[in-house]
Amino acid sequence: MKGSLATSTVLHVLVLGAALSSFTAPRTLEVADVESFPVSIVPVEEITQIQQGEKTAPIAERAAPMPTSRPNPVPDAENAGDNSVDLTSSAAATPSPREVVSEAPPKPAEQPAPKPAPEAPEPVAEPTPAPDPVPEPAAEKPAEPTPAPVDVAALPAETTPDPVAEAITEAAPAEPQFAALPSAGPVPQTRPEPAREAAPKPAQETASSKESDFNADQVAALLNKQDAAGGGAKRSTETASLGGTRTTRGNTLSQSEMDALRGQIQKYWNIIPGMADGGDVRVTVKMRLDPAGNIIGEPDVSASGGSAGTRGTLSGSARRAVLRAQPYQLPKEKYDSWAEVIVNFDPSQMF
Amino acid sequence: MEQVGLAATSDVTLWSLFMQAGFVVKLVMLGLIGASIWTWAIVADKWISFGKFRRQLDQFEQVFWSGQSLEELYRTLSDRKSSGMSAIFVSAMREWKKSFERGAKSPIGLQMRIDKAMDVALAREAEALESRLGSLASIGSAAPFIGLFGTVVGIMTSFQAIAGSKSTNLAVVAPGIAEALLATAIGLLAAIPAVIAYNKFSSDAGKLSARMEGFADEFSGILSRQIDERMNARQAAE
Repeated sequence: MKGSLATSTVLHVLVLGAALSSFTAPRTLEVADVESFPVSIVPVEEITQIQQGEKTAPIAERAAPMPTSRPNPVPDAENAGDNSVDLTSSAAATPSPREVVSEAPPKPAEQPAPKPAPEAPEPVAEPTPAPDPVPEPAAEKPAEPTPAPVDVAALPAETTPDPVAEAITEAAPAEPQFAALPSAGPVPQTRPEPAREAAPKPAQETASSKESDFNADQVAALLNKQDAAGGGAKRSTETASLGGTRTTRGNTLSQSEMDALRGQIQKYWNIIPGMADGGDVRVTVKMRLDPAGNIIGEPDVSASGGSAGTRGTLSGSARRAVLRAQPYQLPKEKYDSWAEVIVNFDPSQMF
Repeated sequence: MEQVGLAATSDVTLWSLFMQAGFVVKLVMLGLIGASIWTWAIVADKWISFGKFRRQLDQFEQVFWSGQSLEELYRTLSDRKSSGMSAIFVSAMREWKKSFERGAKSPIGLQMRIDKAMDVALAREAEALESRLGSLASIGSAAPFIGLFGTVVGIMTSFQAIAGSKSTNLAVVAPGIAEALLATAIGLLAAIPAVIAYNKFSSDAGKLSARMEGFADEFSGILSRQIDERMNARQAAE
């Protein structure tokens, strides 16, 4: 026994020695440095119920868009609108277009006349015979760089034959003109054509000089119901809050609030079990609530399905439940959405 | 705050685990290592002694059934220290000699005495075979619990230490638990060989003693026949 004990001891010492020397610290578990994805749960309300504000602004209790840089641009801002920039009442300021048309022709006619005159002859022949030849000069223009298009515009004004000139202006030779202009960049003479710059001034002068207060355009603008009137931008003096460009909050009750309402009514809804066709009856109760949660007037109970007796019993129990459950505890700020409530009773689950 | 301590405990070699353990846990570990040493000592001892025993049995049976005279065999075996079957044979023969040579009258009494002598020798041999197997069984059943005790104490102390450090970082918790679990590991290390060895050696011992019992019965039959023959011869002579 002694011998075997000694052998055993020696063996143990050997094994333990080997274990201590060879069992070094285990390799450290290397956890892969996985980038964690920040996941945020977005309730549907964030999309369906957005309050107005700024996307980068912090969350605030009250909705407020970004403060506008110009706090008070329109002293008599009688118009309110959704514009981002303040507009002056446009229709009132701009004179009617008819005057522009009447005054415009003389000026452009004078200005372009002197330059293009010498090179005129060739195109003149073409415009005269009605609108048909018009495409031809349009086709030629890319080939002949500058002078041609200017002539077309100038000549009719110069010659001023009654029928021909009218035919040209009406039959839209103007379009080829404008199309060609960019290619004929260097020629500045065509610019003066828009007579609107020049036109308003004489119009205003005449208006102010002739009669002191009365402005027919202003009256027309007031009477005009079709054109949108200018208005002020939406603004606030508060710091912006988080939100979208406009408030889209559906003022709906949330699921939990609906459940709360359901629970309040269910507590008082007692039906006699064992009615033969109770499962077929559907009871609908329409009721109007005041802000305190009490029913205004009588709830409107209607039932369908089942036999007449069961229907009567169940609609009676539904009516009692609705009446006893008041006052309803619902969020005051959403009163709009629960001012009128329709409750559907489905007794099929109760039998 | 406790960063220095954490850096020190991050070393988890076997030796450092042992050295970090508390006093009780160390004691348990050392005791379990001692139990393991004792287990393997018993295993080695039994392995050798059982092998020797089996060889002796084979040898004796060969000699016994070789047709040699029982008197002669007794003379050769009685001188030396015998074990196993030879011990049974010697004790039976001694009783036979004592009783028969003094001229015992009753063959039944003689037979009974010889059987008793053989039973005693058999019991002594069986006891020698099964000695120390009990401690193997004890180690096999108790070592896991002792190791578990060490683990529980170690975890308790390490949790107390963690509570003191006011940090729930895994790096703080892990070394203490690893160190405590070492006690269970050593306990299992001692218990598993002990259980296996116990099962093997107890069945071996059962087989060997059954062999010896068979021999004892056979020898008892032979002696009974001899007694009858001698009695008849003696009666005939008278």
